[in-house]
Amino acid sequence: MRRAAVLLGFGLVLLWVQGGLATFLPPHFCPDLGLLLVISLGLWWRGLTSGLCMAAGLGYAADALSGSLLGLHALLRLVAFSGSRLASRQLNLRGPLPLAVFAACASVAYGLAAVGLTHFFSPSSPPSGDAGFRGLVDALVQALVTAVAAPAVSAAVQRVFAWAGEDEAARRPLLLEPRGPLA
Amino acid sequence: MPDFWKRIGAPLVFGALTLLAVITMVSDRGGRDASERGEDVSWWQGVLLDVASPIQKAVAAPADGARRVWRDYLALLDVRDDNSRLKSRVAELEEENLQYREALVTSGHLQRIAEMRDEFETPMLASEVVGLDVSPWFRSVLVDRGSGHGVQAGNPVITSEGVVGLVTATSGGAARTMLLLDRQSAVDGIVQRSRARGIVRGRGTADLEFEFVVRGGDVVVGDVVITSGLAGVYPKGLRIGEVEAVPDPGGRLIQTALLRPAVDFGRLEQVFLMLRRGPTMDLLYGEGGAREMAGGRPAPAPGSAAPPAAPRGPAS
Repeated sequence: MRRAAVLLGFGLVLLWVQGGLATFLPPHFCPDLGLLLVISLGLWWRGLTSGLCMAAGLGYAADALSGSLLGLHALLRLVAFSGSRLASRQLNLRGPLPLAVFAACASVAYGLAAVGLTHFFSPSSPPSGDAGFRGLVDALVQALVTAVAAPAVSAAVQRVFAWAGEDEAARRPLLLEPRGPLA
Repeated sequence: MPDFWKRIGAPLVFGALTLLAVITMVSDRGGRDASERGEDVSWWQGVLLDVASPIQKAVAAPADGARRVWRDYLALLDVRDDNSRLKSRVAELEEENLQYREALVTSGHLQRIAEMRDEFETPMLASEVVGLDVSPWFRSVLVDRGSGHGVQAGNPVITSEGVVGLVTATSGGAARTMLLLDRQSAVDGIVQRSRARGIVRGRGTADLEFEFVVRGGDVVVGDVVITSGLAGVYPKGLRIGEVEAVPDPGGRLIQTALLRPAVDFGRLEQVFLMLRRGPTMDLLYGEGGAREMAGGRPAPAPGSAAPPAAPRGPAS
């Protein structure tokens, strides 16, 4: 319970940092720290149910501070948490490079899903070809920036775990599922 | 049995949370539609905006502090020279102004100009931007005036430079404003020089796009695009932006030009909320909004630029 509260607080601090960065940097040059926290939770958090609840809670906090439809970030962060959890069962994502690559892919998918869901719930005319291309470029830039920040956020999450007094038994061990019968 | 619950617990929670998120999205969409019709947003949406307002203020505080230090101290090093230059300029302008007034009074136009100003004046409310959107996929800001100050969803938001956007949701003390840059923003505009008409859309980036019909659409780089007043949201004549590129249409009937917004959205601090809703919106959504504007509006807050009379500006 204490660890969950500390991590939720940490998530709000990251949102605060992200909001501060947004006043200085163009939007797509700010890393999506909230998404990175959720991905890190998927990799490191032991409890699946409590992790899902935390991802949704962090998503609703982002919704409150954003012009998106309420629930959009909550839904996408649930999916991001589940996705990183599932991916980490097949791949070792705990190294900096694999984590950065995964975060970049997740960021692009997240952006496309956010724009797609918004158009689905609030129908408006689709962007012109040029605007669509620019949007894609922005998504790639955002993915790159998010990827660069991913190892730092993951390390910070582990620090917070340690600071919150978490013992080794509570941290999720790396369990890679074999694809076929072991020789 | 415990094993069974352990196995389906997580999928159940995932399903329930997903369902909850979809329900809140649908409900929020409904709330925004109701808000556009002039109805109050639901209590929980109001509470959420009220809670978000101080948080976003706190989020923006360090950046505002740094900017203030820069503005108040570091950027004032040349202030003495500027001051003496501006003083002499003010003296020149005052003298010039006096001559114009004298000329106007002499020609009898002053009274007519005063009447015109009264006719077109719209009550406005000064407001501070207290928070930016934390998501890079949406472009909105939170301002520190809400329904308690007479602000309604659908009210245009401007600065002295031009159009900022539109209020999409309000609570007692805050209002969420969708910027022109947002992908969902669309404004009817005309080119000031050639009167070519088109639609200005947000792209989610720092610039805008202006869609117009190629045949008869005389648009060149440097043209200023203003609001046409025809879409029923913004009054006519507000500056939207300047054409910075007109790509080759390549045989298409609809051409898209790139616009540089008139407002510098990176330095948005103070905005003006126009306490009016276009008559077309009232016609579209029934008389409810109009009645509320005429009879149910709360007293104006300090800082309101004019008395809260029913808008008499040009049809929009």
